[in-house]
Amino acid sequence: MMGQLVQHYVLLSTVIFLIGAIGFLVRRNILVQLMSIELMLNAVNLALVAFNRQHQGNMNGHMFAFFVIAVAAAEAAVGLAILLAFYRLKASVNSDDADTLKH
Amino acid sequence: MHALQKLFPPTEFALLAVILVLPLIGAIVNGVFGKRLGKEGVTTMALFAIGGSFLASLVSFSLLASAQAAAHAKGSEEAVRFLWKGWEWVRVSGRHDMAQVPLSIDFSVDALSGVMSLVVTGVGFLIHLYSTKYMEKDAGYHRFFAYLNLFVFSMLVLILGNSLPVLFVGWEGVGLCSYLLIGFWFDDEKNAAAGKKAFITNRIGDFGLIVAMALLIYYVGSLDWAGIEGGRSNLLTRVQMWPVGNQVPGTSLLQSSMPSLVEALNRPRYVSAASLVGIALFLGCAGKSAQFPLYVWLPDAMAGPTPVSALIHAATMVTAGVYLVCRMAGVFVLSPAVMFTIALVGAFTALLAASIALVQNDIKKVLAYSTVSQLGYMFLGVGVGAFSAGFFHVLTHAFFKACLFLAAGSVIYAMHKRIHDTDASQDMRNMGGMKKYMPHTFAAFAMAWVAIIGVPGTSGFFSKDEILFKAYTSSVAFPIPDGKLIDPRSGKVALELWGWPSWGPTLLYAMGVLGAMMTAFYMSRLVFGIFWGDFKGWKIVKGWKEPEHDEHHGHHDDHHAGPVEGPKPQESPWQITVPILILGALSIVAGFLNAHPLHIAPLDHFLEPVFKFANGAKDVVAAGSKGAGVVEHPSAHGLMWPLMAPGLLALVAGAGGAFWVYLQQAGGPAKALAEKLPGLHALVYDKWRVDEFYEETIIGAVDSLAEFAVVFDRIVVDGIVARVTAFIVAATGTGLRRLQTGHVQAYAAVMVVGVGGLGWFFVAPHATTTVKPDEATGSYQITAAPGLGYQYRWDSDGDGKPDSDQFGAEASLSVSLERGQQKKVGLEVKNAFERVSKRQVTLFRPKVDASKEGPGVIQIEQGPDGQLRGVMPGQNKPLELRRPPAPPPGPGGPPPGLRMAPPPTRPNPAEPHQHQPGDVH
Amino acid sequence: MSVGSLFFSVCALVALVGAVSTVAAKNPIRSAVGLLATIVAIAALFLKLAAQFLAAIQLIVYAGAVVVLFVFVIMLLGPDATTGERPARLRLSRWGGAVLLAAITGAALFVMRKGFGPLVPLGPVRADFGSTEAVGGLVFRGGLVPFEIATALLIVAVVGAIAVARSKPQPKKPRAEGHETRRLFAGPLHPRDAERPLPKESAR
Repeated sequence: MMGQLVQHYVLLSTVIFLIGAIGFLVRRNILVQLMSIELMLNAVNLALVAFNRQHQGNMNGHMFAFFVIAVAAAEAAVGLAILLAFYRLKASVNSDDADTLKH
Repeated sequence: MHALQKLFPPTEFALLAVILVLPLIGAIVNGVFGKRLGKEGVTTMALFAIGGSFLASLVSFSLLASAQAAAHAKGSEEAVRFLWKGWEWVRVSGRHDMAQVPLSIDFSVDALSGVMSLVVTGVGFLIHLYSTKYMEKDAGYHRFFAYLNLFVFSMLVLILGNSLPVLFVGWEGVGLCSYLLIGFWFDDEKNAAAGKKAFITNRIGDFGLIVAMALLIYYVGSLDWAGIEGGRSNLLTRVQMWPVGNQVPGTSLLQSSMPSLVEALNRPRYVSAASLVGIALFLGCAGKSAQFPLYVWLPDAMAGPTPVSALIHAATMVTAGVYLVCRMAGVFVLSPAVMFTIALVGAFTALLAASIALVQNDIKKVLAYSTVSQLGYMFLGVGVGAFSAGFFHVLTHAFFKACLFLAAGSVIYAMHKRIHDTDASQDMRNMGGMKKYMPHTFAAFAMAWVAIIGVPGTSGFFSKDEILFKAYTSSVAFPIPDGKLIDPRSGKVALELWGWPSWGPTLLYAMGVLGAMMTAFYMSRLVFGIFWGDFKGWKIVKGWKEPEHDEHHGHHDDHHAGPVEGPKPQESPWQITVPILILGALSIVAGFLNAHPLHIAPLDHFLEPVFKFANGAKDVVAAGSKGAGVVEHPSAHGLMWPLMAPGLLALVAGAGGAFWVYLQQAGGPAKALAEKLPGLHALVYDKWRVDEFYEETIIGAVDSLAEFAVVFDRIVVDGIVARVTAFIVAATGTGLRRLQTGHVQAYAAVMVVGVGGLGWFFVAPHATTTVKPDEATGSYQITAAPGLGYQYRWDSDGDGKPDSDQFGAEASLSVSLERGQQKKVGLEVKNAFERVSKRQVTLFRPKVDASKEGPGVIQIEQGPDGQLRGVMPGQNKPLELRRPPAPPPGPGGPPPGLRMAPPPTRPNPAEPHQHQPGDVH
Repeated sequence: MSVGSLFFSVCALVALVGAVSTVAAKNPIRSAVGLLATIVAIAALFLKLAAQFLAAIQLIVYAGAVVVLFVFVIMLLGPDATTGERPARLRLSRWGGAVLLAAITGAALFVMRKGFGPLVPLGPVRADFGSTEAVGGLVFRGGLVPFEIATALLIVAVVGAIAVARSKPQPKKPRAEGHETRRLFAGPLHPRDAERPLPKESAR
């Protein structure tokens, strides 16, 4: 087997991203959905870093990943806060119950 | 002074911004924060704003005067104009053979606007001071001052604007403020209706102003003062008008039934463009300045507070029309017919309004009709070409009429304390003998009175005498030889201008003298009625019931209904008497600004450069033609003293008649006359029933039109259109609602679809091209848009097969075309995913070079010498604006006035004969 | 198989197993543990990709903060954190979702196959590539404005999270009436006085 290829990382990243996407679409538990989002963001980070490893001209990939992590942290905090508020309102963490606008 | 000149150079005269912005700040502060500021704050703000504006006007006026004196010393006759350039607002298309017209927000001050802004801010300041007392107890105090400051701002925009559109903004602004202030006490239906009447009547005039602007853009290609003066010779062209549309023979029922009528209707009429522009402008002026037939709003406008009547409806806003005529004097003198119309309308309005004022009892109504009448005098003056005389009357009228209104307000203030009834406290019949109780008010009123009736030595005497003198001696001659426009190609007469009749000056003079006599009569009647005799208001409170217990009515001793004698009328406080005394003094002495009989005329000399274009019209006419523009009676100089005699006689007859009728006979002869001719008296008392006539004809017609339209509205709009629309919206909503499941997952899935589509877009190649033509050489360059890993393959001969099998990196291709040749070029694009997209471009080179023959887009550039010239994009040489080919004659007729159109700049004075007046068609 | 390949394979396996268990576990606490595993594995891969700084950040922020936050919330909710997922019905949307995912997977594989040039092994690493100094210098020189915006975003997120998650606000107290300054600046100042000309009706 030849040495490490960027393709390997990108393939892994794609698979993790798809798992996250499936999780978000299929699961009804908001907690798990939020975790799925984190999975997708991690997958994107992995791809960014891997490409940057291949093209070492600058380190914009690293910087991008850095900002993605910052945004992800903020997103998790706000998302969980919304989850708590929602739980207080409906006594449930099922995303199907978040349909007040429809009814 | 030198430092100020350095600080404000003539081309960047930022002092105008100070003049303009201070009242605006006052209006905003008082309007938004007025309630919180409290009365003192509002007063301070308003007075500071107008006072500061007045000081800035004073400084700019003195700078202007010194600059003009310096220019005069050098022998220059050019009008000095200080500019403050704001920003370019918009560009509009002019005529197809002309460059685009930039409309800029620029302000400028010259002799005319300098004097006018001094009047507006100076008189405005005095009236603001007066209002602080007059409106003291009003709940809308801050609102009043916000409106008043806004009015001063708008008026200054009107005066200082450097072009017609900017003037129009101010024009509409003062109209709005007038509306707001007439209806200031809008809880009374009558006042609100008066405001609406003023606003709507003014709209009719504003329509004319807008039309005039459009015509000027079309014919002159410029709307700023310098551009209009420079390009006004373009207005001497023929305009073909179809009286009632163009009836194509044999198509209409009318044509078959009344062929001769249709034939008459079909005959084209020709007028000069100058006449069209002039009459449209004058319509605007007549609306704003209350001239016949649009004067009806001004008397009703007295429903507003008295300071408003003084400031807006006597001293400043209503003179805007006269100002505009003076400003556009260069355009008006090109049309003797329009000038005669203005003079005649002015004289007629002066007579009509004076006749109504003879019999009115409401003192504000008398003053209102007097204002209309005096405005008529101003138009008589400017109509005969005596622009500086007309403008001088604006000045003196601002002083004495503002003084009269404010003094009348002082009387009303005193009466109202006793009567508490708006109408009764303005009724002359309840007054009398006030000179005893209100000595200061009487002094001011008397000074303004002797001025308006024209007692020799007062300002009114000099200005009115000047107008009457000019009405007889001055007239407007043809701007072109014999008033005939010659077609330069055929040599035939294309259009004959209408000239002044020989009896014109005599008629105008006679009307003016008659009006002067009536003025002397009704003003004396007013003064005698208010200030002489015995006070008749003692028993006025009889039968008056106090509406409710209210401690503000504390000076009433008792509340029973019955004969009550109030306290004596009292003199008003200093905030009211000081402004009226100042104005009264001014109305006496201001005459020496322009005392022609005494050969003291500084104002005339100051204004002379501004009216240079009007007097003589030398840049338009051919040299050597007999008379041009404003001409003087050959023996005018010797007529000055003889012509004064009828005016003085009118004064003596009018004032003496009033003295005899109302003081010696205590109004007996007037009553006897009214009883002898009850019909005529009632007719005049009802203002010749003009309002009723309008009500019956125009308003009635609009009403019936509205009644018809309402049926359409109910059946078609409400019945069909609204229901169908509602049904479509409801059905769509019902359908789309199914998409809104309320499940987060569903939304996320849809988002995935969208992201997938976006991804597909990026994966697919896109063959997009831009073509850069060079019509001069016939070389066309086609460039393909770049993309991720794109490679290109061209097909330059259009046979469907690519030039080479391999894709290359060449992203652009040059193709050479002959004139009139058409060619197809193919392009294939392959991206990183090895997907290919194809595209075919058809190139066509027109037979005629569009950049040379067509109108194209012309940019205006300013050359190093400051001249404007049109330039085609891509070509660096200035564009020759050429005559377009004559269109084929058709039933629609040729476009009016096709003629050589220079760019909108001043014509070269070295070639005065360059532009042949006439019509090339 | 070289050491490097072995390391990659192990990390990839851990990350995949973690990801699948995140999505598939019924109990959210297991999901959180799965997420942790994935995050740690990706951090290890960052090390392999010469991104030392990012690996540290990944561990600190994700493993140290985000996952802990998730665990906190799960503890806070207790048994309610587990939702009884409704029985899967063979609804059209499910099939639609499956088709969609298959399409996206196919597209991704297509891009993977066609979109990269020749297979070139990753070359040697530059000396300071991925170090804290390098990333820090980059962030503070080239990306200072985004960095500051990101800090602002984090603060806003913290404040927002507190505001949203806080218990219900108490009903507001009515504002104090009759305070001196308030009375000074509010309300009608100038009652209409008799001395200004009154409308006709009221005078009659």
